[in-house]
Amino acid sequence: VLFATGGQGLLGKGRWFILNAVTTETKTADTEPGWLQIALIGRRPKFTLVRIIILVTLVTLTVKFVLLPIRVEGISMEPTYRNHKIDCVNRLAYVLHEPKRGDVVAVRYSEPGHFSEPSQMLMKRIIGLPGESISFHDGRVYINGRLLEEPYLKSSCDWEHSPIQCGPNEYYVVGDNRSMPFEYHVQGRAERDHIIGKVLL
Amino acid sequence: MKTVLRSILILAFLAGCFWLYTLLFPSAEKVVLKRIASLAATATIARGEGPLSRANKVSNLIGFFATDAEIAYDVNGVGARTLSGRDEIREAAAGGFVGLASLNVRFQDATVRMGPDRQNAEVSCTANVSANGEPNSGIQELHFNLRKIDGEWLITHAETVKTLR
Repeated sequence: VLFATGGQGLLGKGRWFILNAVTTETKTADTEPGWLQIALIGRRPKFTLVRIIILVTLVTLTVKFVLLPIRVEGISMEPTYRNHKIDCVNRLAYVLHEPKRGDVVAVRYSEPGHFSEPSQMLMKRIIGLPGESISFHDGRVYINGRLLEEPYLKSSCDWEHSPIQCGPNEYYVVGDNRSMPFEYHVQGRAERDHIIGKVLL
Repeated sequence: MKTVLRSILILAFLAGCFWLYTLLFPSAEKVVLKRIASLAATATIARGEGPLSRANKVSNLIGFFATDAEIAYDVNGVGARTLSGRDEIREAAAGGFVGLASLNVRFQDATVRMGPDRQNAEVSCTANVSANGEPNSGIQELHFNLRKIDGEWLITHAETVKTLR
């Protein structure tokens, strides 16, 4: 009704005045939402919805493709990683460079591909790089016959093993808990494509 | 606005058609994955499941294998052994089911590689097995070879694989 009145006889000024009045009234109504509405959906629900959609998409993509949340099960990485500790695997860590010695990595069991939810992986430290020979003598690691310094180890052991040769695409991985007997400690050569990322913390 | 809405509706309709098509005519990969998931479900025994139900499960389990199927396993604490043919598999399954109060089998992270003739498939997966409700489950990488025999995907070879060599 207001618009029709303003539109009569090409009264531009009046029309503007009336429209402005309508806008002002609407704005007044919009700027005073109830406290509950503000708490639940914000002052501008449409923007809140857009923000929620963007946030959920970003979090989903990050969790699925970049930072994989994990929970440590078992004692083979103690004391560096305690049982039931929550952490993340950075799946982009090895996009620009190859894994390095000393990195704690997640190794998947089956061939690369789809991940089930939840999934199971091995968490180990890389001590041997492709082409290297790894041996254990008196509980210490030797790479190509040279002693490897391992400052992250807190316990000593008496592991003995003859040299194991890594292939051109293989990394030797082992846990930090060397107090376990050699035969009960899951370790060995992992293929590069089974290493899915670096443990973040 | 109308054009955008129409475009969205058309895209949604096409996506719905595609979804329906994949549901009605699943790819061979999907059929194989479903078959492997069914195998895990058949090998799972609930607590309190009676001997008759277990015997039924054993005979159902055998149906997943070809007559000349072979299972080669080497598991820490169990040892290495090869089972050849349905009879040996049936015997081992029946014996294994007897001493267990419950068994939970899941095959995770399964990937399928189809042969060039689409009549053979290789599946790599992680088996997660927990017996008698124990919280610590056994985890083992598995490889399956399947062949399409008389329209049905049957396991011809199954073996445990050492993830770290």
